[in-house]
Amino acid sequence: MTELARVATPASREPRGAWHLSGALAVLALAAAATSLVIGRSSSGPTFGFGGPEIASIVLTEIRLPRTLLALLVGGTLGLCGAALQGLLRNPLAEPGLLGASSGAAFGAVLVFYFGLAGADSLALPAGAVVGSLAALAALYALAGKRGDFLTIVLAGIAINAFAAALTSLALNFAPSPYAALEILFWMLGSLADRSLVHVALALPLMLPGWLLVISAARGLDALTLGEETAASLGFDARRTQWLVIGGTALAVGGAVAVTGVVGFVGLVVPHLLRGRVGHHPSRLLVPSFFGGAALTAVADIAIRLMPPGPELKLGVVTALLGAPFFLNLIVRARPASAA
Amino acid sequence: MTLVARDVSVAYGARVALKPTSVELARGELVALVGPNGAGKTSLLKALAGLLPHSGTVAWSGDALDSLAPRVRARAIAYLPQTPALHWPLLARELVALGRLPHRAYGAAPGDADRAATSWALEQTETAGLAERSVDRLSTGERARVLLARALAVRAPVLLVDEPIAMLDPYHQLQVMAMLRAYASAPQATDDADASAAPDARGALVVAVLHDLSLAARFCTRVLLLDEGVVVDDDRPERVLNARALERHYRVEPIVMTHEGEPLILPWRRLER
Repeated sequence: MTELARVATPASREPRGAWHLSGALAVLALAAAATSLVIGRSSSGPTFGFGGPEIASIVLTEIRLPRTLLALLVGGTLGLCGAALQGLLRNPLAEPGLLGASSGAAFGAVLVFYFGLAGADSLALPAGAVVGSLAALAALYALAGKRGDFLTIVLAGIAINAFAAALTSLALNFAPSPYAALEILFWMLGSLADRSLVHVALALPLMLPGWLLVISAARGLDALTLGEETAASLGFDARRTQWLVIGGTALAVGGAVAVTGVVGFVGLVVPHLLRGRVGHHPSRLLVPSFFGGAALTAVADIAIRLMPPGPELKLGVVTALLGAPFFLNLIVRARPASAA
Repeated sequence: MTLVARDVSVAYGARVALKPTSVELARGELVALVGPNGAGKTSLLKALAGLLPHSGTVAWSGDALDSLAPRVRARAIAYLPQTPALHWPLLARELVALGRLPHRAYGAAPGDADRAATSWALEQTETAGLAERSVDRLSTGERARVLLARALAVRAPVLLVDEPIAMLDPYHQLQVMAMLRAYASAPQATDDADASAAPDARGALVVAVLHDLSLAARFCTRVLLLDEGVVVDDDRPERVLNARALERHYRVEPIVMTHEGEPLILPWRRLER
């Protein structure tokens, strides 16, 4: 009986299985990155190779490499933070956008556009987004920090999202010129095109500490599987776990939104696809979700460049088009995850 | 080694659930907390676990629980709530293994001791056959036994369990009570480092909230009877669980008898106030 059961248990249920899965997804992400380096896009559709030996190094370092690195970093961030938030809230529908960090960052960036600073200095835009993301986190803490229970946090996140969206609409309403409004809209759609290594250098210092904060909460997320009270009896303070995940997510996602605009649904879809492969273990989901998010985003960004000639699709549009039906399907099939 | 509560009281807003209570509990004892609904049993148990804001102090072998690092306290005191949450459908074995979290350093994979403790806990609750099943595919009673195994897997010198047998069939009620008694009296059952060194570190302290008075009387070494937030009696089971006390505090007329030398207590008739 035990022998049979052991045979019937998939290898991915074991801790080692999570590392195998991470390794496979990392290889996939690297393969996608390598492919991404040789595919470009011009007004007449996709291009392959580097356009001749004399401009190859410029094409590689100035255009393809930043785009590829950002796809990996942003996708990884969204996957990791989505998995951590789902573990924290113990809800498979949780998403980084839930906390208001994305919409806060978007509003910060929109303000920069609104005052016409974006053209003058390419760093003003991401800086504005970072400030917006941190402001959203501060507002979240001010609204929910005292009580600090999960429901209050989610409701505060919804309020911040609504408020940031309203302010963004206001900025659009009073946009100095139709061109500025269009620029704002296009930026908010989320894209990896036309970024430089400066953007990578700007996002990475926010993402790295964010990732570390989130990963350091891994054991606390496992303990929370049994509820806050039992987690406390196992020596894990739910409040501490919570602020590690939320603070880390705000930093990392703020950094991501700052350089790419809003890319939705990656943080929802990736952890959900991988959860069963790691036996629903919240901590074992984190690293695979990072590499899964990186791979998915890199592949999506390649797909965008392979589209027939025409205006380039925005990455955020593609992830939303694919993610929204997925989200609906999840809600339709949703049954309480708690076994009680 | 003892778990000592001094003037512990618990209030939820204006409502006082537990009036100032002092009690000293030692390793080797299987203590039943009994009393009617709302008597303060769970409040006392949570306060003893260090999981509930309360006035007064609770100390484990001389150290106030507040002063202990959370992980040290978690290794010393295992706790099973009355209705444990279960948010992800883990395999039963992995759920039980969560009880080893306080023993594992960050990022460390489970060691041989962790695997052994997990298997031991599954065997103790007769759930080894369910180990490779997802916990959302278990019956309520099976799940309750797996959750009890999770608390056992800590192998703590103090085990606090809230109604551990309420969901179980008669066979497993008897089995779990016998197991808890054995855990309390076994000389080397726990994982704490000084178990072999300290002469009084024998067995474990097990405190269980129970409603089955026959099983409490038969298996427990000591009974605390609570009513309206007060420990009204604290003694050997046969002295506490007498007809007069049950009539007064439970408002039932019981049948109290002896069968094969063991106590048998059957609530028979409600009493008018």
